[in-house]
Amino acid sequence: MIRDLRKRYGGRAVVDGLDLDVEAGEVVGLIGANGAGKTTTVECIQGLRRPDSGTLRVLGYDPTTQADQLRPLIGSQLQDSALPDRLRVHEAVELFATSRARSGDELLERFGLTSRRASAFGSLSGGERQRLFLVLALLNRPQLVFLDELTQGLDPAARRNVWAAVAQLRDEGATVLLVTHELDEAEALCDRVVAMRDGRVLDAGPPADLVDRHAKWATVRFSWSAADSTLDELRSLTGVRSVARVDERIEVRGDRRIIAYVGADLVRRGAVPDDLTVEVPDLEAALLGLLDKEGVAA
Amino acid sequence: MSTAVGRLVRAELKLMVRDPLVLTFVFAFPIVTMLIIGGSFGTAPDPDFAGARPSHWYVASYLTVVIAATGLIMLPVHLASYRERGVLRRFQASGFPRFSFAIAQLVVGLMVTAVASGMLLIVAAPVYGVPDMALPGRALLGIVVGAVAFVSGGVLLGSLLPSARSAQAVGLLLFFPSFLLGSGGPPPQVMGSALRHVADVLPLTVVTKSIRDPWLGLGTATTSLVIVAVLAVAATVVAARRAAL
Repeated sequence: MIRDLRKRYGGRAVVDGLDLDVEAGEVVGLIGANGAGKTTTVECIQGLRRPDSGTLRVLGYDPTTQADQLRPLIGSQLQDSALPDRLRVHEAVELFATSRARSGDELLERFGLTSRRASAFGSLSGGERQRLFLVLALLNRPQLVFLDELTQGLDPAARRNVWAAVAQLRDEGATVLLVTHELDEAEALCDRVVAMRDGRVLDAGPPADLVDRHAKWATVRFSWSAADSTLDELRSLTGVRSVARVDERIEVRGDRRIIAYVGADLVRRGAVPDDLTVEVPDLEAALLGLLDKEGVAA
Repeated sequence: MSTAVGRLVRAELKLMVRDPLVLTFVFAFPIVTMLIIGGSFGTAPDPDFAGARPSHWYVASYLTVVIAATGLIMLPVHLASYRERGVLRRFQASGFPRFSFAIAQLVVGLMVTAVASGMLLIVAAPVYGVPDMALPGRALLGIVVGAVAFVSGGVLLGSLLPSARSAQAVGLLLFFPSFLLGSGGPPPQVMGSALRHVADVLPLTVVTKSIRDPWLGLGTATTSLVIVAVLAVAATVVAARRAAL
């Protein structure tokens, strides 16, 4: 739970009156452009930075004054934090394993690192390093897991791999705070997303709700050699904002209701096209404008 | 060893013996230079060496080369690289107790110093002989407080320098003058007065004196020992605070 968190660096407010609640068992995504204040917020929650003001309660502790009690309960896959190059994978697991730790070998197996057990950290690929950080974050049975930009710089296959691991975590009931500026990642993994800009929360909710709120539009495209007067009739359908002929295809834009109305109209006319496609916005399209510095809502 | 300090010491010791910089400067350099310098001035008692045999003078001096290499090169570079790469932040975020890392560095620094010193004496024994300690209690105390002072100083240096590269540069710049003037170079009796004044204020000179004098029976070196002890306590207190997670 965060109330009115504030942090300034050299006169610039990085976190500016932020409120945030995360329930047990939730996977919450903190999303926003670079510089929105996501990482600073997460560092304050972990007690790695001292906020200028605000109230923080994490698992019943104040991270500013009770970091020693809090940190053993959280798992953190840190951004921009490496391990010594010559440390081997199994040695890293042994180094970070407290008396509460689960089996390191089992976690290495789960994240596909068993064959790299004896490899030095310096020889791991980017994806392998991120997966090792996940292993270390989960090793000591944390009640709360922080994942900060966990797929940054990974190739698509490695990304999918890491995503599957987080989905598994979610299914096991872990509470996860995921920091990302990749909206597809937030949409794929999070129960709820919190959109940040300039250190404030712009909006929060399940990804589908955010899409509904910020992008209720749809576009329907299909081939149809109708006369222009027929197109005018489509324009009068409920919810339609525009109808245009693009090359050989008709493009109808409007709110979500047009999907049903345009379909019904085409059926009524006996002109059912075999190439009709519907485009609805994803979280990225919905929040792209919202998250921009200029803040032009989509 | 499942305490945080135990886990850190175990991992750090493995990393130290895999580090070429450590193997070169802490283990190989003191032995190689001791073999060369120790044989350069003969084995007959010499007034330039306060009446001691030059070979014994150098054997008794060279433990501080190990101490200096550990404190001025190994630990600063190691710590600065940890901070630069965010390793310390990871320890902090992972719930390692506040002073566990500082304590582990102290333990590892002293263990590496002890092993490297042991190797130095094992190599010296058949070549130049290891002189008997005239005042063993004082000489051993000098070794211990000298090692603590430089190990803590190294942790402190590493916590102040911004990167591994700068730590390496600063460390080498501090190490070689200390080595040449304060331990493994010419004896103070043959230095010019200016050089001797510089040598006298180097911390390593004081540590070397507090070990060599009681070892070879050249004096009790009480003043040196007190200075080194004060340095050791001060450096340890400041280093522990600076390297706290």
